[in-house]
Parts: sequence; C-alpha cells; structure tokens
Amino acid sequence: MNISAPPQSSADRWLTRACLWLPLAALILFFGLPMISILWHSLLDDRSGALGLQNYLNLLDAPGIWRATFNSLLLGVTTTLCTLVLAFVVAYGLECTRMPGKRYIAAVTTLPVLAPSLVLGLGLIFLLGRNGVLANALGVRMEIYGYWGLLIADLLYALPQAVMILRVALKHNDARQYEAAQVLGASEWRQFLSITLPGARYGLLSAGFVVFTVTITDFGNAVVIGGDFQVLATEIYSQVNGQMKFGMGAVVGILLLIPSAASIWIEKAASRRQKKIGTSMVLPYTPEPNRARDIPCYLACTAIGSSILAVIATVVYASFIRLWPYNKSLTFKHYNIDLAGGYNSLWTSIGVSVAAALIGVVLLFLLTFGIRRTPGRQADLAALISALPVAVPGLVLGLAYVFTFNSATLPWGMLYGTAVLIALCNYYHYHTQGFATMMAGMRNVPAAMEDATSVMGGGLMRILKDVYLPAMKMTLITVGLFLFMRSMVTLSAVIFLITPSMQMGAVTVMRLDEAGFTSQAAAFSTCIMLIVGAVACMLHWITRKYSPAH
Amino acid sequence: MALVIQNLYKSFDGFMALDRINLTIEEGEFVCLLGPSGCGKTTLLRIIAGLLGSDGGKISLDGQNLVQVPAKARGFGIVFQSYSLFPHMTIAQNIGYGLKIRGVAEREIGQRVEELLAMVHLSDLGQRHPNQLSGGQQQRVAIARALAVNPALLLLDEPLSALDAQVRADLRRELRDVQQELGIPTLMVTHDQEEAMTMADKVVCMRGGRIMQSGSPRELYTTPKNRFVAEFMGHSNLLPVELVQSWLPNLLAEAPADTDARLFIRPEHIAIEQRDQAQGEVRAISFLGSIQRLEVAWHNHQVLVETSSIQPWSVGDRVDLSVDPSHCIWMSA
Repeated sequence: MNISAPPQSSADRWLTRACLWLPLAALILFFGLPMISILWHSLLDDRSGALGLQNYLNLLDAPGIWRATFNSLLLGVTTTLCTLVLAFVVAYGLECTRMPGKRYIAAVTTLPVLAPSLVLGLGLIFLLGRNGVLANALGVRMEIYGYWGLLIADLLYALPQAVMILRVALKHNDARQYEAAQVLGASEWRQFLSITLPGARYGLLSAGFVVFTVTITDFGNAVVIGGDFQVLATEIYSQVNGQMKFGMGAVVGILLLIPSAASIWIEKAASRRQKKIGTSMVLPYTPEPNRARDIPCYLACTAIGSSILAVIATVVYASFIRLWPYNKSLTFKHYNIDLAGGYNSLWTSIGVSVAAALIGVVLLFLLTFGIRRTPGRQADLAALISALPVAVPGLVLGLAYVFTFNSATLPWGMLYGTAVLIALCNYYHYHTQGFATMMAGMRNVPAAMEDATSVMGGGLMRILKDVYLPAMKMTLITVGLFLFMRSMVTLSAVIFLITPSMQMGAVTVMRLDEAGFTSQAAAFSTCIMLIVGAVACMLHWITRKYSPAH
Repeated sequence: MALVIQNLYKSFDGFMALDRINLTIEEGEFVCLLGPSGCGKTTLLRIIAGLLGSDGGKISLDGQNLVQVPAKARGFGIVFQSYSLFPHMTIAQNIGYGLKIRGVAEREIGQRVEELLAMVHLSDLGQRHPNQLSGGQQQRVAIARALAVNPALLLLDEPLSALDAQVRADLRRELRDVQQELGIPTLMVTHDQEEAMTMADKVVCMRGGRIMQSGSPRELYTTPKNRFVAEFMGHSNLLPVELVQSWLPNLLAEAPADTDARLFIRPEHIAIEQRDQAQGEVRAISFLGSIQRLEVAWHNHQVLVETSSIQPWSVGDRVDLSVDPSHCIWMSA
C-alpha cells in the first residue's frame, strides 16, 4: 500500500478506484480494442486469411483506391481553403465589427449542426439539381452531382465548426493592443493586418484541420451528391458492403486515419505554442462603428448565412411539395413514410441517442472524477486514450466495431446488432469532446469545499452529492444534450452497425434518397431537424438561465 | 497534551516538503504555523487534517494514533481561505452540515445553529445563501460551521488572507476570543507575522520544510535563534563584525568564531540623539504614524533605527547612536 496517499476508509478507497477503473475499462473495451482489431484485420489477407502486409501491397494495383485518395485530398484541400475564407468573414463580422443582424447570422450559421450532413446535399439537389428550382430559374444546367456539389455541401457542413473556432480565436484579441496601435497612429487596415490576423492564426490553423478532417471523412454528402466522384469515405463503404473485402476496408480505414490523426496532432502542437504566447488577462475588444467596414461585412455575412438557411429551408419546404418542382401545391403525403420501416428508425434513433447521452454522461463523469481523485499512471493513461477518439472518423470506428463485436464466439459478440452497441459507438465517437468539456467542468469544482466536507465527516458519497453534483450540474446537462444531438444526426459511425431490424434515422434518409424518394427523405430529415432543433433551443435556454452570472 | 507530532516527514517527487517535524499542541492552545510560501506549513496542516498522507512519523491525539484514520473520522474542524461554503445551501444548512452527517436530530441541529449564529453575530442571516454575504461574513459562517461539531482540533488555513485590512483586524480578535472561550486547541497557517504574533500562544516558524524555531511570540521576537527567524519576525539589524569592531568593541569577546557572524539588534533598541558634528547621518525616513523608521549611515554601514514620531527628523540630520548590550545577540551565518 502506498503510505503517502491520504488515509481513507476501505469502502471509500474501493469506490474511488472503481470511479476510475470502470470507465477506463469501458474505454479500453469499446475504443481501444476496436482500434487494435481494425489494425489486426488490415493485416489479414482477404483471400487467404494469412497474416501479412498483402492487403497493403494490393493497394499498389488498386487504381480505384488511388483515385479515391486523390479525390479526397483534392476535395479536402479546396473545401478547406474556401471554408476558411468564408468562415473568417463570418467570424470577423460577428466579433470585430458593429454590423447589424448579428443574432440572425450567428443563428443561421449554426443550423447545419442540427441536421445529418446529407441534408445539405439534399437541399443542393432541390436547388441546383436536374429539377432544381434555382437552376431552372436561372436557365443553367449544371452538373451538381460530383466534385462541385460535394464541395458546396461539405463547405456548408463544415462552416459552423470553423466559425465557432475562429470566433473564439478573435475574441481573445486584447483591446489594449488596439488602443496602443491607435495611439501609435495605425490605420484600421493596418490594425487588422498587424493585430487581428496574427492573433487568429492559430485559430485559422486549427479550423483548417477540423474542416479538412470533416470533409475527407464525411460519408453522407459523398453518397447523396458525390455521384461518380469516388472518395475514400465511399470507397471504404463499397469495399466492405459491396465487395465484402473486409481486410481492404480496414486498410482504407487506416489510410483515412492518417490525415485526421496528423491534423489533430499538429493542431495540439500549435495550441501548446499558443498557450506560451498568449497572456492570461485579456481585456475584450469592443469595436467602434465604422461604415466602410461594417456594411460590406454585413452584406457578405448575410449572403453566406442566407445561403445556408436557403439550402436547409428548401429541404423543409420540399418535404411539403406534392411534386417537386412541377406541382407546387402543399401536402403532408411525404410524411406518410411506409418505406424502409417508416418512422420506426426515428424512434430507434431517439432511444439510441438518449442511451448514448446517459451512458456517456455517467461514464465521463466517473472517469473525470476518478482522474481528479486518484492521479497517477492509470489517470494519465485514461487522459491519453481519451484524446484519441476525435482522430477516428465515424466510418473507421463503425467498421472497427464490426470487426470487434460481430463474433459468435466471443462473449461480447452478443452485443452486436443491439441498440446498446450503437449507443456506445456514438458515445465513443464523440468521447473526446465530452471529455474535454467534463474536465473543464471539474476544474470549477472548488477543492477547498471537497476538503472541508471530508474534515467535517463526509465520505465519498457526500462529496459527490454535495460538492460535485451541484457544481457540475450545468456541465452534465451540456454534455448529455451534446451527445444526444450528435448521436441523432451521425450517419458514418452507424452505417456499418445497423441491421435490418435495427435501423437509424440518418440511415433511413440515405436509403430513401437512394431509392429515389427524395421528398420523403426531405420529410424524414425535417423530423430529425425538428427534434434536434428543439433540444438545441433547450440547451441554449438552460445555459442562459443558469449562466455563471446568475 | 492534545496533539503530538513526532518525526513527521513528507516528500513530493524527491523534494523534501517536510523534514522531521516535531510539534505539540496543548489543550486549549492557539498555535500558528508561520513561514514564507513553500515552507511546508500548508502541507503540515493537510497531513494533520488527514487530507494528505505522510511518508513517515507519528501523529497522535490524546494518545490515539491518527496516521491511518481518514479525514472524515478525525472529528476536526477546518476553515480555508475562501470558497468552502456550499453555494446551494442556506447559511443555517451550511453550519448544520457536520451535525447532519453525524445524524443529529433536526431540532437539536436547529438549536445548535442558532447558538453558533449568535456567537458569530449573524443571527438574522440564517436563511440567506452564501453569495448574499460579504467575504468577512462568509468566513464567520465557515468558522461557525467548523465549530458546530465541537471539534477536537480546529484547523485554519490562512483564513483571513482574502479579506480587507479592517475586516481582517476585527475577525482576528473575534476568532481569538471564540477560541479562548471554547478552549479548542487550534492550529492556524499564515504567512503574516503580525497576524501570528497578535493571535498565537505559540508561533512555529518554518522554512524549507523545517521548524526554525518555536515559542511564544515574544520569545521569537526578542530572542530569535537564527537569522531567518530574526528577519522574518520583523525589522532587524544584523551588524557585520567590522562594524561591531569599530562601534561596540566590548562585544567582540563573545563573538562566535564564524567570520560571517552577525550581531542582531532590533531597530527600537537603538537610541538616537541629535548632535552637530556627530558621525552618523540620517539618510532616509519612513513615517509610519505612531513610529518612524530611520536609515542611518553609521561607521560606513546602514543601520535601521525606530523611534516614536514625536521628534521630527529630517534627512541630513547628524546623529549619535547607542545600544544597550543586553539586547544584542550574536548569530552565526
């Protein structure tokens, strides 16, 4: 026994250990094991089952995969560049100008988060496709399926995340720097070049990597609007689901892992550097009105925000249209979905998402509590593993789950095909984000209060009930609702895990679209957005009501 | 004898935080752990509270060994610098918390809370929440909460450091009065020597994980055992051998062999007299209200002198200095 640890009653000691060990074991079983498993399967030859690098060697004469890789990279780079420019305009407009309509722009630029990614592709088809209203009105026939459609859809999908990161970066610019520059006689443009832009460069880098990762790993839009433009995300799906080449699928999964892992690693390194540069006390910058800057920003931001709104509103609108675009009379008939199991999958999605939220909140709370209470090697290991899931694209995690749990012999094989496994997959897909939020919440729990409770005679349960739960209430709700919303809309992680009897809402949208029932796909999407939107409003309302200022 | 600590030690990653600590706290005694930040005083308090384990040594309370007893079972009371009241509970609930844990009946808790509220002069505020109280009031509540369970030992971790000067002075006296009235042995950690001197029966001066000296405030002030204590307990002169040689040659006989030995004398024990052509010269004056502190150039050295403020001094005045040898102590480096 380590005599240096503070003395504890043996019940408290075991409880404290369980708080760390239970979630750590779950993390290893439901994340570590699948990742090892996919690596292992990438080494098993599809034809002979022999162990070796045969699958990797087969890549050399697989021109389809090379083309998909090239396409993914091309799409990733161009989408990232376009998104960064537009996201910077929006973030700059919101944080550094006095333009009107900030609330509208902030609201509409977060809309895509509420929907499965393929809703944007769907909306673009309604607007610019063969029967697109906008294409018809303008009299242009453009080929929306393929590179261009995918570029626009991914751009719109990734924009909110980039805007969010850049807004944080711009918020950290110090007012005193601007005041100093003004006193020294620098013009507004000069101030932008020498203060605003350099201050945001790590934000730009970070946003760039996030957009790149989102783009090359997005599956929904690639299926709906990608057409013949094969990318890695669709390639992995066709290798596994179409050709049953599991080993090859694993290899492509590993390929897909490289850029996202690299980008996250670089971003981590960059943010560490930024910490050294940044000052601790920031005086927030309040811009003065300036028409020459505010009006162009307003126009640009409104154009960007309204385009997003237009695409999503079109999906909602089209779901009520009898026959797009010829008969524009309104109807509810598309909501009468009888194909692909009807609304069953929506209820399954809600159930799975509630489960993912509950499981996630409990495990994350115990894990972060355990890390705080028993620092040491196991806590370090838990923190290290917890940083990894964000680097794993949903498709890869889903495939890894198939390798690990689709087994009749292993005891955990009985989880396969159950809602619980999908819930676990969705939770671990977003584990890193939840973990970061939970750790930040833990830091707000005053240590003195914990110590005071111990000295007054309170055991572990008292400390949890009277110190941690009250201080963490908001964090727990935030993490839970976040996991619920993500789990409702994610497609890539669940695409490999669904069975004929266990369908998910986002997958149903894809199936309806594939089968040509585009209006029904729109109707189904609208239902998903309605639910997620309601939850998002709830989250917004709760955080405002119980903000620290209260 | 309430609390006895023998040969207690503790290290963090090879850094010796506490080195062979021996300390006793008598029945009803108020003991202050005094020292600069990083001297180990808070570590010692946390080990006594049971919030931290030690690497070795003994802690016993009335003969009972405490080393393996968890914090929650020691029956102590603790007050921290800040943020230790439960924000979601009322003041009364906060104070009654320890009793509730012990399963005391509601009615009895209510009575006890009333008594304690009266004791800390907050009788009307029982139904408020902590964020509706000032810092000084919150700290009073924290003290009442710690005292509610009749603790065997009261631990105070810089309890007054976050408060304004006036509130701090009031609360010092109040805290001391309550402690003496109840006769609870108390251990307070502080880095403020004035606070330690005004409140404690016994001051334990620490540096680098060791006790440098312990004793009554007067003992530590008038007869410090080493230069650290001499300098930490207030202003002092540590005169080098060459100055003593030219000014007080009679005292050289007692000087230790050490070449870096110093003669210690408090500034208020140096008498100062104005005389034209005298060899001393006033170089700087800090006026502190009731007293003034002068820097005097004397035999090519700086000497610190304290006098009452009655006589006005000005820079450049020629002065003579004299000392009573009985107030001088030789100290080795």
